[in-house]
Amino acid sequence: MTPLFTIKLAWRNIWRQKRRTLITASAIAAAMLLSLFIRSMQEGSYALNLDNATRFYSGYLQLQHPEFSENQSIDKLLPSTEEFVGEIRGIEGLTTAVPRIESFALGAAGEKSKGVIVMGVDPGGEDAYSGLAARVKEGRYFQRDDEESVLIGGRLATYFGLAVGDKFILYGQGYHGVTAAGLYHVAGVLNYPNQQMDSRIVYLPLKTAQNLYNTGEQVTAWVLHGENVKGIPALEEAARSRMGEGVKVRNWADISPELAQTIGLDRASGQFLVLVLYIVVGFGLFATIVMMTLERQREFGVMLATGLVRSKLQLLLVLEALFLGVTGIALGMAVTWPLLLWFYFNPIPLTGDIALMMEEMGWEPIIPFSLAPELFGAQILIVLAILALCSLYPLIRIGRLRVVTALKG
Amino acid sequence: MTIQIERLTKIYNPDTDFPITAVGDVTVEIGQGEFVAVMGPSGSGKTTLLNMLGGIDRPTSGRVLIDGEDITALEDKELIGFRRDNIGFIFQDFSLLPVLTAKENVEFVMQLQGRSQRECEARAMELLTEVGLGDRADNVPGKLSGGQQQRVAVARALAPKPRFVLADEPTANLDAATTRGLLDIMQRLNEKEGTTFIFSTHDPRVIGRARRVIVFEDGKITEDRVQGEDRTE
Ligand SMILES: Nc1ncnc2c1ncn2[C@@H]1O[C@H](COP(=O)(O)OP(=O)(O)O)[C@@H](O)[C@H]1O
Ligand SMILES: [Mg+2]
Repeated sequence: MTPLFTIKLAWRNIWRQKRRTLITASAIAAAMLLSLFIRSMQEGSYALNLDNATRFYSGYLQLQHPEFSENQSIDKLLPSTEEFVGEIRGIEGLTTAVPRIESFALGAAGEKSKGVIVMGVDPGGEDAYSGLAARVKEGRYFQRDDEESVLIGGRLATYFGLAVGDKFILYGQGYHGVTAAGLYHVAGVLNYPNQQMDSRIVYLPLKTAQNLYNTGEQVTAWVLHGENVKGIPALEEAARSRMGEGVKVRNWADISPELAQTIGLDRASGQFLVLVLYIVVGFGLFATIVMMTLERQREFGVMLATGLVRSKLQLLLVLEALFLGVTGIALGMAVTWPLLLWFYFNPIPLTGDIALMMEEMGWEPIIPFSLAPELFGAQILIVLAILALCSLYPLIRIGRLRVVTALKG
Repeated sequence: MTIQIERLTKIYNPDTDFPITAVGDVTVEIGQGEFVAVMGPSGSGKTTLLNMLGGIDRPTSGRVLIDGEDITALEDKELIGFRRDNIGFIFQDFSLLPVLTAKENVEFVMQLQGRSQRECEARAMELLTEVGLGDRADNVPGKLSGGQQQRVAVARALAPKPRFVLADEPTANLDAATTRGLLDIMQRLNEKEGTTFIFSTHDPRVIGRARRVIVFEDGKITEDRVQGEDRTE
């Protein structure tokens, strides 16, 4: 049988039972639609939220001293000199780089004291990057990069009973063991998206923080951002090769493992749902293929008797299964693609309390969709894998078929 | 072309308490261009015999020699090619592929042989015209009557110019008039193409049309006669 003839025969064969083929293909299409809808929504949310969430803390990537991550020692620093900045600017795919000094200190006001996270930031750069100024709910944002004032988290302010203009003391250990101590005025109170951080965070202008810890022109981290979440691995690679051995490149998942884990769990739950869907559809597909095989024993007998080689008959059946699957995939794509495309450009807006909550956390109150080709590719691969499994049945069945028995029907 | 059947035996369930001897020690020879009816009641072993002749079933013992070549000694793979190139099959229930047109059905075995499309088409049209279905070439079997389908099956069997044609009760599902028409066609093609026809039947009306009748009972030949043409049935 010529390939063309085999293809013609297979294609016509699947349409012998038009209704059954349509139902089976529709089931595949429906599974694709649902799965892609779920997964596209998930990945779209992760990408958008990750982009927003990382701006406040981890960034896509951070450059650190190779030993800083061991115990966050204020002695393990990177330069913040013009020369070093020039090096960083050369990282391909980089859109933003902001310097930070992140360390611990004991905060005190009146009778109370508490361990706090000190974040020294470049006022202009940081605001452009994370929109910190917009988070100031009382008072004002930093006006100079060396002013002796702090911005503190709302919950921390409540703890200390602090208001704008009050005095606040920071006390800790500085560079190479020197004592770090300073007295500051509260310039503003923040509404920080992360609650835990809101009760511990204290922002200082970068220069002020460098003075406090006596670091000179050095920082604990350079926070890097790129075009989009998808490009993180490439950016990471570029940063590594550009910065060399003396600088450690850490990604957001390494810096915020809880966030990575949350996303991982959520993704797994979506994937599980997809798996269940495909198991159901897989059984339907299997049933169709079994029927397609069993109801044609006599016909197979005739074909084998008249001289069709067994392997060609097997090929025919595999081709029929493939066409059935491809029809399903094509149908699925035809329905899913326009739908997801529409949602991609018109994300579902959230309203009410959820919207407020998301805005509080600094996230856009929408459900965005992803059109990542991998998502579509994965669905197609899953369907093809199910097909391959189902095809084993006719393969084995025909392999064992005895012509005489088959001819009896 | 000669078919020599030597001490051919087929025993079903040989190692049980109830072995069935479907064909028992049959020896017979069939020559070029013969038009032979294997006649016998249901269960007498006609299908089993024809299947062994056609190389789709293996005997328990004995040999089938086609022009001296022992086909019972062929491997399964070799047998497939042998069947394709040498034997035409006609089945009781027509057995056309339902998704192919009459012409494509006739071309099927030639396609398997890898003949050119032009050659396949010319031969298919020649045979379809011969069986009176030249104008139905593009119909699928579902659009044809039982008699018409069986005529297409005859054309299909003859298309690759086989050495002989095996037809297991080809008229069993046809009415009297249609049976007559089909036998006319088979007879004409037997004469025109010189192809040997061996068909089985338990219908006495059909027997009259055969030039040679092998009567089969309980897996044995009880009579083997050559008769003059008797068109009165
Ligand atoms: N696969 C089989 N297993 C056991 N017995 C069989 C089998 N095929 C046929 N037979 C028996 O062999 C005998 C001959 O059958 P068959 O060749 O089909 O006769 P016919 O075609 O003349 O009706 C019958 O008794 C039948 O029951
Ligand atoms: Mg029979």
